[in-house]
Amino acid sequence: MTQTTDTPMVELKGIKKRFGDLEVLKGIDLRVDRGRIISIIGPSGSGKSTLLRSINNLEVIDEGQILLDGVQVNRPDLKGLAFERHINHIRQNMGMVFQHFNLFPHLSTLENVTLAPRKLKGMNAGAARELGMELLERVGLADKARAYPSSLSGGQKQRVAIARALAMQPKVMLFDEATSALDPELVEEVNRVMKGLAEEHMTMLIVTHEMAFARDVSDWAMFMDGGVVVEADTPDKLFSNPDQERTRHFLRKHLGQASPGAAAAG
Amino acid sequence: MEFDFSPVITYFPTLLKGVGVTLLIGLAVAAMSILGGQIVAVISLYTRKVVSWPLRFFIWLFMTTPLLLQLYFLYFGLGELILIPAIVVGILGLGFHYMAYNADIFIATIRSVSSGQYEASRSLGFGHLRTLLYIILPQAFYRALPQLSNNMIIMVKDISVLSAIGIGEMVYVSQYAISVTFRPFEFYITIAVIYYLINLMMEAGQTWIERRAAYRR
Repeated sequence: MTQTTDTPMVELKGIKKRFGDLEVLKGIDLRVDRGRIISIIGPSGSGKSTLLRSINNLEVIDEGQILLDGVQVNRPDLKGLAFERHINHIRQNMGMVFQHFNLFPHLSTLENVTLAPRKLKGMNAGAARELGMELLERVGLADKARAYPSSLSGGQKQRVAIARALAMQPKVMLFDEATSALDPELVEEVNRVMKGLAEEHMTMLIVTHEMAFARDVSDWAMFMDGGVVVEADTPDKLFSNPDQERTRHFLRKHLGQASPGAAAAG
Repeated sequence: MEFDFSPVITYFPTLLKGVGVTLLIGLAVAAMSILGGQIVAVISLYTRKVVSWPLRFFIWLFMTTPLLLQLYFLYFGLGELILIPAIVVGILGLGFHYMAYNADIFIATIRSVSSGQYEASRSLGFGHLRTLLYIILPQAFYRALPQLSNNMIIMVKDISVLSAIGIGEMVYVSQYAISVTFRPFEFYITIAVIYYLINLMMEAGQTWIERRAAYRR
């Protein structure tokens, strides 16, 4: 398990997943080098969220291999408690941001951020507080440290959720439609935080419906449909001049966001 | 008929002792039934049927039979086998009875915590048990508070049933005082007023707790 800089941060090999008779992932391969940002787009039901959730085992895959920094995530050989220990350890290295935020409503904003480092890393209260405040500062919510989630707007909740995921200093961040549940005017503040992470070279996988944002922020874009990767390319190429008709059709339906920047991006 | 409250004043220290016993039993039963209720709820939700079904049967049994019968069963029935002090029987009896009711509430509120909460906790690296302890149970507890405090208010009144097995709580000591002074009305009225005051305080506490809990739900 030696990790060199050549080891991809995330590697998926032949991922297959079935829900009953329905095969939602039909053999997905992906390599994400460290510091890279991958956007995954596609219609609902295309399997993009399932793929993202598979990476930290929230969905258990049926076939294939998932590697995080060279370490295998899915371990069919481990059972029961042994697998629990393994996956809990793996998950500490992956931050996950959900569509519906899933902040812990019984904890203050600061406690939401500090709970994991305190309980899982044994960080003392002072150090955790310092880390928490630093992260809340980073997402622009230091003044809300004592507030409870119920008093925050959707955009603020999502920014806290990002801070919470960052608190474990993950190697990779997974965003599952992080802005889909937000009012349009709140999307930008979350996008700004994500862009900030991109600039710090955080490795990120972003499942999104925000085509303009995906194009702007990512190094690589993947279009999924029907459980397969239809097309994967640089965002400029994928969004302005995709090879596949299915991709073109999907992008046309999404407000024609493929065309505006096409000429400029060339 | 004329009211004469002077015997009440004479026997007031005795009554106060009864109040003390009632409050102590109330605290013990509240602690036992709330803590135990959560444990019973967790076990009946998360364990195999071999374990969870007997527990559900236990809940069902305590909820479908009268408290007095349960107390008699524990005190006189089990008393045949082992000698248990009445106060212990009283606390255990009431404790099990309300543990069943509270477990029923906790089962519902634990189920009501969204799966997203579980997933968020797991995605941070918390295991099943820690997720339960840090995330699910606290939320289930806050959600249970309104019904839980209702149960506890009813429970305090039910402590009077323990007079039937000779525990010196409020009703029991007043009956003793009445048997000496022959002034039932005065003592019953006094006891009712004390119950009312205890209830008033509990309701104030309930409001206070619920206000604090509201924004944590």
